[in-house]
Amino acid sequence: MNKKGSYYRYLNRFGWFCVAPAMVFYSLFMLYPILSSLYYVTRRWRGMSNTFVGLGNFARMARDQIFQQAIGHNFAFMFVQIPLMVFLALILAVILNQGIRRMRGTFRVIFFLPCVTSLVAYSVLFRILLQNNGLLNNIMLNAHLLAEPIGWLNDPFWAKVTIILALTWRWTGYNMVFFLVGLQSIDTEIYEAAEVDGASKRRQFFRITLPLLLPVILFSAVTSTNGTMQLFDEPNILTNQGNPANATMTAALYIYRQAFVVNSDFGYATAMSYVVVLISGIFAFVQMRLLGDRGEK
Amino acid sequence: MSVVRKFSGSRVLVWLVLVVGGVLSLFPFFWMVIGTTLNPNDVIRGIIVPGPELFLNWAKATKNYNLPLFFLNSLKIALPTVFFGVIVNGLAAFGFEKFRSKSREKIFGILLLTLIIPQIAVVIPMFKLFSFFGLLNTHAAIILPSIMSVFIIFFMRQNFKMFPTEIMEAARVDGTSEFGIFVRIVSPSMKATFASAAIYMFIAQWNAYLWPLMTILTDAKKTLPIAMSSMMYAYTIEYGALMIIVCISIMPVLLLFLTMQKQFVAGLLGSVK
Repeated sequence: MNKKGSYYRYLNRFGWFCVAPAMVFYSLFMLYPILSSLYYVTRRWRGMSNTFVGLGNFARMARDQIFQQAIGHNFAFMFVQIPLMVFLALILAVILNQGIRRMRGTFRVIFFLPCVTSLVAYSVLFRILLQNNGLLNNIMLNAHLLAEPIGWLNDPFWAKVTIILALTWRWTGYNMVFFLVGLQSIDTEIYEAAEVDGASKRRQFFRITLPLLLPVILFSAVTSTNGTMQLFDEPNILTNQGNPANATMTAALYIYRQAFVVNSDFGYATAMSYVVVLISGIFAFVQMRLLGDRGEK
Repeated sequence: MSVVRKFSGSRVLVWLVLVVGGVLSLFPFFWMVIGTTLNPNDVIRGIIVPGPELFLNWAKATKNYNLPLFFLNSLKIALPTVFFGVIVNGLAAFGFEKFRSKSREKIFGILLLTLIIPQIAVVIPMFKLFSFFGLLNTHAAIILPSIMSVFIIFFMRQNFKMFPTEIMEAARVDGTSEFGIFVRIVSPSMKATFASAAIYMFIAQWNAYLWPLMTILTDAKKTLPIAMSSMMYAYTIEYGALMIIVCISIMPVLLLFLTMQKQFVAGLLGSVK
């Protein structure tokens, strides 16, 4: 009995030994930042010195229209881009899964390829392609699709479209692969049975494929929402620091600029990051509930 | 007859979607390669036939912009991150999965909970931490916070679930130490998991932007993404040289993808299970 107890203690100690290094890193670079942010959030920096302002940073946020717009842009990108991307990814996945017999592998690789680019690299590429006198405008002008060049980067509306198009290019193939995995796990016997019952292809898609794929779709929506809430590289590089006139400013970019570029107000930046955490948390909670209801194995 | 027509009509539509989608996917890559051979004006105008300036652009990228240094810096940051990351996260995943205890499960729950905290919320206090220790503008500042990854621990733990505990028991009977079990028995048979984790961590660090942007202050320390981004903010932009740097920055990830497609995708999809 005693011997067995000491053996379990030994195993338990080994368990701690395994997780200890990770815990050290976690404490330093996750727990400590979270705890110290509680101090920063109550302070306001002016130059090198800072003073206690209590909840003053949050009051300032309520008056800060650029920050509110930035959050609005995050939502706008989320609600337009994610459905568009999920729709396209779904079409491609269904086609690759049952629409063609040849060259499946080739097309899967081709559609996935945009994901190998770093966010910085593809932002640079798109910024060059979308100049006023750049390639896309040239092609469309020559094909007489446009009468005058579109300001992809310097019109407030089109700059948002640019971000959406760029995100869609970068991430559609990624989500398609998720959906393909999901589609392949659906038992083909279900379709055979539906075929026998005389269900049309369209009916099969809406009654079988879509419901069974819903957990995967939700999962990719969760990941994409999280990513869109953190949007930073694209507005900073592709549309040049959230331009034109803050039309593509996002929360993360605005926070970064308040802390490092425009001001060095770490207190205000921390307070704004709390709002981003809160929003991400709410989204995660809602989506987790949705996934929990449907995604149990 | 009409059935055949309808059938081939949808066939055409399917292939049309595939071809258009494929062209859109590939075009930026194709054009990026063309761009390396053009002079700056032609890059901006979007000429799609190769020009004569590849060697000139290469010379500019390597001499004016020190591309080899940026490449080396990126490598010097990514490789240690992967090396230590795979050990630290692999060991933690092993501990959490194979030596379960109530308190460790609680800790694991907290880890997962903090997964939703966006990077932007963590980096500001972290910046203060590194500036306090005088570690800004060092590569260590970029490596250290990226070693532990909750996502990687989660991913590896899911995979360790599949490793049969009976084999561990048998090794224990043979007198192998717990650490020996991890190093000599579990790790070798979980090579694919380690490879996926390594690829994922390499790509994340190779492409990292926000945190390096905050901590890197001098040219000598710049990584490829930081170099590209600061080129975009320069007064005159050497577009041809920039295209070469873009190509070179994509190359390692592309090669990883094409040679280890299975592990690459498994790493990206890790949390799907």
